[in-house]
Amino acid sequence: MDERLKKLNYVFKPRSVAIVGGSPIPNKIGNVLMKNFIDSRFTGKVFAVNPKYTEVLGMKCYPRVSDIPRPVDCVIIATPAETVPGIIEDCGKNGAKGVIVLSGGFEEVERNDLAQRMKELSDAYKLPVIGPNCLGVFNPYTRVDSIFLPMYKLQRPGPGNIAFVTQSGAVGSTVLDLAAHFGMGISKFISYGNGTVLTECDMLEFLERDEETQIIILYLEGVRDGRRLLEWMKRVNVKKPIIAMKAGKYGKAMTAARSHTGNLAGNYAAYKAAFRQAKVTEADSLDELFDFVKIFSQPLPKGNRVGVITNGGGMGVLTADALNDQGMEIADFSQESKVEFRKILPSYGNVGNPLDLVADAGVEAYEKAVGVMMADPNIDSLAIVVLTQTPPIDERIIGVLTSAADERKKPLVTISVGGEYTEAYKRALESKGVPSYDSPLAAIKALRRLTDYSMWKRKLK
Amino acid sequence: MRVDYVRMAMLDDFRLLEKNGFRLLPYKLAASEDDAAQAAKKIGYPIAMKVVSGEISHKSDIGGVKVKIRDEAALRLAYREIMDNVKGRNIDGILVQKMARKGIELIIGGKKDPQFGHMIVLGLGGIYVEIFRDVTARICPVTDDDVKEMVEELKSHPLLEGARGTKPIDMKALRGMVLGACKFIMKEDIKELDLNPVIFDENGGDIVDVRFTR
Repeated sequence: MDERLKKLNYVFKPRSVAIVGGSPIPNKIGNVLMKNFIDSRFTGKVFAVNPKYTEVLGMKCYPRVSDIPRPVDCVIIATPAETVPGIIEDCGKNGAKGVIVLSGGFEEVERNDLAQRMKELSDAYKLPVIGPNCLGVFNPYTRVDSIFLPMYKLQRPGPGNIAFVTQSGAVGSTVLDLAAHFGMGISKFISYGNGTVLTECDMLEFLERDEETQIIILYLEGVRDGRRLLEWMKRVNVKKPIIAMKAGKYGKAMTAARSHTGNLAGNYAAYKAAFRQAKVTEADSLDELFDFVKIFSQPLPKGNRVGVITNGGGMGVLTADALNDQGMEIADFSQESKVEFRKILPSYGNVGNPLDLVADAGVEAYEKAVGVMMADPNIDSLAIVVLTQTPPIDERIIGVLTSAADERKKPLVTISVGGEYTEAYKRALESKGVPSYDSPLAAIKALRRLTDYSMWKRKLK
Repeated sequence: MRVDYVRMAMLDDFRLLEKNGFRLLPYKLAASEDDAAQAAKKIGYPIAMKVVSGEISHKSDIGGVKVKIRDEAALRLAYREIMDNVKGRNIDGILVQKMARKGIELIIGGKKDPQFGHMIVLGLGGIYVEIFRDVTARICPVTDDDVKEMVEELKSHPLLEGARGTKPIDMKALRGMVLGACKFIMKEDIKELDLNPVIFDENGGDIVDVRFTR
């Protein structure tokens, strides 16, 4: 697989793209794909391939890929399944570097013969093939984009360090849209569909070496070789944290179980076991997926002792409850910190953890409190509640929290609950890479996952 | 033994387990009352007796099981009672087996997953196993550290560490049994395995019931 994985680089950073099925007819997949490339900032060459036309959207259209006078880096195929093997062979003749097959109509409808042919041709030409039955790839760095959903309907996220590998195109595109909405940057989006040639394991192997990727989201429905997945997760997760989600947890058992063990441990139990063995962070819902992913952009904590700052007593109590619930420790401040905190607090304030700055607290009080906690050796991570509704809190708080996060000394989570004004503030934080949560429990759950991952990695050393 | 019936095939299963390093509660298949008495003397009281027959599927229902037999006099009475209860049936003999210790009932299970292959399951066992569903699993082979984590993941973990005045169970023995079960299902390519219950106290654990399919 090695040679094919090397060639996969061209699919993500293509100098040229050919769209097989490129069409002038609005709303046809081949038309949306062409438009997406024309409208985006893609700087490479784009070819249309379709025997029906000589020109598509003002671009020269070739009857076959092999008619294109030079080898193409990335061929995107969106034609009926029966035509796909022939086109792949033609790609091989062209000397193409890689192929994405968007078309459905293979294993999922029992056309294993077509899938088998695809595999053979991939072997023969050492051609990496993503798909079929998928959305293909999106790379915000190069703007290569095989997602056949119009850009005005589905936002594309900007560049970042999170790779998103998904079996389901539908869930994948939704998550992509949400990521863009939250201002979360990504490194690569890979929807691999049936995984006929390149599987989730190959994607992990590829991303392990991908310089733009630091965090990996893995959305699985089912895999063919669980053991291989376990080995790759183990290997890659050490270097780049993997957040995994398994859909179809309660599917029908393959065989009727006759033992207690068979009844107790269905197929999902094996996935869960594998995630635990590889120390992969498992998300149970799309909400958790986002909650967990965003915290992994933070530095790894040295332990589980958390310092809490709040400007509302009640939210501090809820955060302390969440810490207890998640088995995290409420840190004991150092003597030096206590002296400093006394200076920040009003005369009636109590120095304790959670540190309640009270509703009179302005941005300066937050800045000082965060600075003291960042320096306190008894604190491993910070949970910062900001009730944006209080009069002294203004937009400068975003700068304070962003620069604290940018120092990358200790991980921090911010918690804010509220309506429109608060939402705008949170989005501003998120776009600057500061994880922000709606509820103390969601924030602390995520912090616990980051802490677990960190503790495991420290144990390895 | 808590099973409802014992077939000769089960004794083959016992032998296969022993071949794979499991230490079962001492047992013997007795052909007569004297034979049973002699076996019990050798094994040591208290013992359990159960009829071994391919014909009888719900042995407790017809009185084919006697447990907590403390001495020879009780054994002889129990033997006769069982024989009377199963009169007219084809039987292979009477299984005489040492009674298990008292302690915490766990389940150690194994199965072969179509995608992940052999996996091992640890949980709270006994008759409520499927009600509490307090189980955790790992893909085989597992390490000693994996098993430690499995034990800690159980909701009943505090029970195992000693709660309400009881001593912590023999964790080393438990881990050994889980590791052994893992090796066993891989080596013999077992499809499904139940060791349920296995009973642990501070001095070790006893396998009370075994079921597996290849």
